[in-house]
Amino acid sequence: MPKPVRDALLLLLCLAVGVGLIAALVAGAGASPVAVAAALAKGAFGSRYNFGETLIQATPLVLTGLAVAVSFQCRLFNIGAEGQLLLGAMAAVAVGTSESVPPNAKLVLCLLAGAGAGAAWAGIAALLRVYRGVQEVLSTLLLNFVAVQLLAYAVRAPLQEARHELIQSDKIAIPARLVLLQPATLDLPATRLHAGVFLALLAALFVWVFLRYTVGGFALRTVGAGAGAAELAGIPVRQTIVKTFLLSGALAGLAGAVQVCGVTYFLGDRYSPGYGYTAIAVALLAGNKPGWIIVSALFFGALTAGSAGVQTAGVSQVLIQVMQAVVLLAVLAAGYLREKSPTNTGEAVAP
Amino acid sequence: MIGVTAVVLAARNITRRFGTFTALDAVNFAVGEGEIVALLGENGAGKSTLMNVLSGSLAPSDGTILMDDKPVRFASPLDAASRGIGMVHQHFLLVPTLSVAENLLLTASRRAGGALSYNIKGVLKDAQILAGRLGWTIPWQTLTGDLPVGTQQRVEILQALRGQTRVLIFDEPTAVLSPTETPELFATIRRLSDEGRGIVFISHKLDEVLALSHRVVVLRRGKVVFTGETRNLDERILAEAMVGADSDAAVLLQAPPGVTTTAAPESAVAKKALHVEAVTVRVRGASKAGETKSGAGTAPLLPTALDAVTFAVEPGEIFGIAGVDGNGQEELAAVLSGLMRPASGTVQIGGVAPPVNAAAFRRAGVAVIPADRQARGLAMPLTLAENVALGVYDSPEYRVGAVLKWRKLRERADALVKRFDIRGGGVNTSVLALSGGNQQKVVIARALSGSPRVIIAVNPTRGLDVGAIAYVHNALRQARDNGAAVVLISTELSEIQSLSTRRVAVLFAGKIAGIVAPDASRETFGLLMGGKRLKETTAVA
Repeated sequence: MPKPVRDALLLLLCLAVGVGLIAALVAGAGASPVAVAAALAKGAFGSRYNFGETLIQATPLVLTGLAVAVSFQCRLFNIGAEGQLLLGAMAAVAVGTSESVPPNAKLVLCLLAGAGAGAAWAGIAALLRVYRGVQEVLSTLLLNFVAVQLLAYAVRAPLQEARHELIQSDKIAIPARLVLLQPATLDLPATRLHAGVFLALLAALFVWVFLRYTVGGFALRTVGAGAGAAELAGIPVRQTIVKTFLLSGALAGLAGAVQVCGVTYFLGDRYSPGYGYTAIAVALLAGNKPGWIIVSALFFGALTAGSAGVQTAGVSQVLIQVMQAVVLLAVLAAGYLREKSPTNTGEAVAP
Repeated sequence: MIGVTAVVLAARNITRRFGTFTALDAVNFAVGEGEIVALLGENGAGKSTLMNVLSGSLAPSDGTILMDDKPVRFASPLDAASRGIGMVHQHFLLVPTLSVAENLLLTASRRAGGALSYNIKGVLKDAQILAGRLGWTIPWQTLTGDLPVGTQQRVEILQALRGQTRVLIFDEPTAVLSPTETPELFATIRRLSDEGRGIVFISHKLDEVLALSHRVVVLRRGKVVFTGETRNLDERILAEAMVGADSDAAVLLQAPPGVTTTAAPESAVAKKALHVEAVTVRVRGASKAGETKSGAGTAPLLPTALDAVTFAVEPGEIFGIAGVDGNGQEELAAVLSGLMRPASGTVQIGGVAPPVNAAAFRRAGVAVIPADRQARGLAMPLTLAENVALGVYDSPEYRVGAVLKWRKLRERADALVKRFDIRGGGVNTSVLALSGGNQQKVVIARALSGSPRVIIAVNPTRGLDVGAIAYVHNALRQARDNGAAVVLISTELSEIQSLSTRRVAVLFAGKIAGIVAPDASRETFGLLMGGKRLKETTAVA
């Protein structure tokens, strides 16, 4: 059997086992697996509005998923997409609510500010890594907590709405908002879908081209594959690490700005439902490949959008998280089994 | 010897499969009391798998292991060890940050000592008795990471030799040793065999096998293809058994018709292709000098990794640099590849000193075959095409602005695959999937494809089988014939002697201890490697 076919069958088998587990869980909880699946599908794809919600959920996941994937491809474990997203959102609100920014440049500046703030936040981890040898797993994770506190402060003081009553920011000016793609017409109700979804697709295309075809992307992947070999080939390893962090942070920051400009228009405390963390699962599920990140973000987006529906079928929304975890484990198991498949002759094992 | 002594450990029809791949196919193998059996075979022939089965690291898929003619089943390496099977690994399994005594304690029997205490004194006493019997002085309280390789190996042997070890397996033990350390190891092995222990000696090196063993077993593609008493054998018979009649060991490096391997050296005026002047490198971090004093013939730790090293290499010359590992080779290679800036001194390529970075050195015409092909030579998960692209990715010929011309790069890689006879996959295969020999071919293809003016080759044949070694040697000779100046840094003395054109420098403690002709006697080399500066050495300028 050719290897790609075998790998695909293996993946399908693992996913089937995962689906079986979920069905058993649902049945165990006294609900009908078929009804839950139907409710989930209806919640995610059942109507124009619902499908719009799926795409809205998928959009930040594509961007943060790309952020994580880019860093993983350089063997950097940026798990700080959440914090970088929050910084991006704060920057976008700061620009979007500012009086001094000309209206017709507002949207572009909001997005750029978001990307820049995310990059700067990731840059802190990059510098710590390159100059002080601090593991980025730790620094990016801790910077997430700092970002959460920074946001809590921002919506209580510098970015708080004008009347200083609510713990949230003002809404950004209308020119700073991303256009709605499907406003209400005479016969159809509006969806909340905004132009940010195209930005996410463009970003995926950009990352794909960058990694595959450019010198910079090649350097990034080579450093990830073997820093020693990269160094011998004259690739500036430290510079590549810093650039990768900046790109990764910019993508996550852009996700925050897109949420502000396309969905919420303002900032509250506890802004993100964890897009930056789900992004790790999105990237892992997609094998860090930009094209597959779109698919895997859609999958996670559909689960989130459809989660309200499953309650009507008699199970808790928490089931959605279980499903996400089981699918991820199934994919990881398939990867593990593929790695274990017979090619080497058995390395010496330490006693 | 077989039949004369009692068989201690035997494998009967051992088969080991990994999925659909059969690494061992109904292998029979036996070692008797006091017998030294050499296990010979190319890379991937199944030697390590067989030894892992016999030492309890791997369970056989089929067949039985017998000890004293009774079937046994090893649950783990520890279980095998407790029944008297010890293994000295090629890559030492010592913890470098623990002392010798602590390392010995790690693998000592768990039952020694109380529930809460370690019997470190008892373990140490046993080891000291053993070391005394073998005539070794071991610095017991020194961190093993600070010891010379030869001494580390002795610690590894002590670790394997505990209690009633009846069979001791050595996995390519000479790969890391100097020419002076190798005879000492052989003496140890003979003494252990005289004590009645069975010895399994794994090696690629035919001369060692002939010198040491009583009996030779040759594995090829998971099968025993040859068994014979050593006294009836010679190198030719063994080489043939190892690679087989249909082997491709004889494949020489041939440029296909119509393709010139290298352009003639651009400038015959630049007579010295490589000129190294008074290069000094200091060890980074705290100096550990003087911390250890250990076995004879081994290098002390160095405050200065390279001390005013000066030499020049002409086009068309292979300049050998011999020496025991750890005498500055690593630093010299790093300086010559543009990876390390020396504290003082200069490196000139064709009369010009390039800026110190690897890309500038490469563009100046320096090609590197690094010591560690997996860590430095190749970016492992990347494809073959991507790995050879690493040599030219920054050349304007292969890029338009920031975009790489992948089609052209792949075509180039494809041509290199054919020219350098790289087997095991096309240009889009991950180099992980290639065998060690073919991985090295990728490194060599990348290094030699760009008509380099200077080639720095560091232990270019380490861990390769005879066929691949011949290939690498031919490639270097051909590069030399095409006018490259080749610096061959190797701990393999016979390799240095057979390849070097005129001169061999011996590094000791960061200094060139002497420059001699390649056909100087092994004694001369041994003395120079041991740090004796010879006055009457036949010096060749």
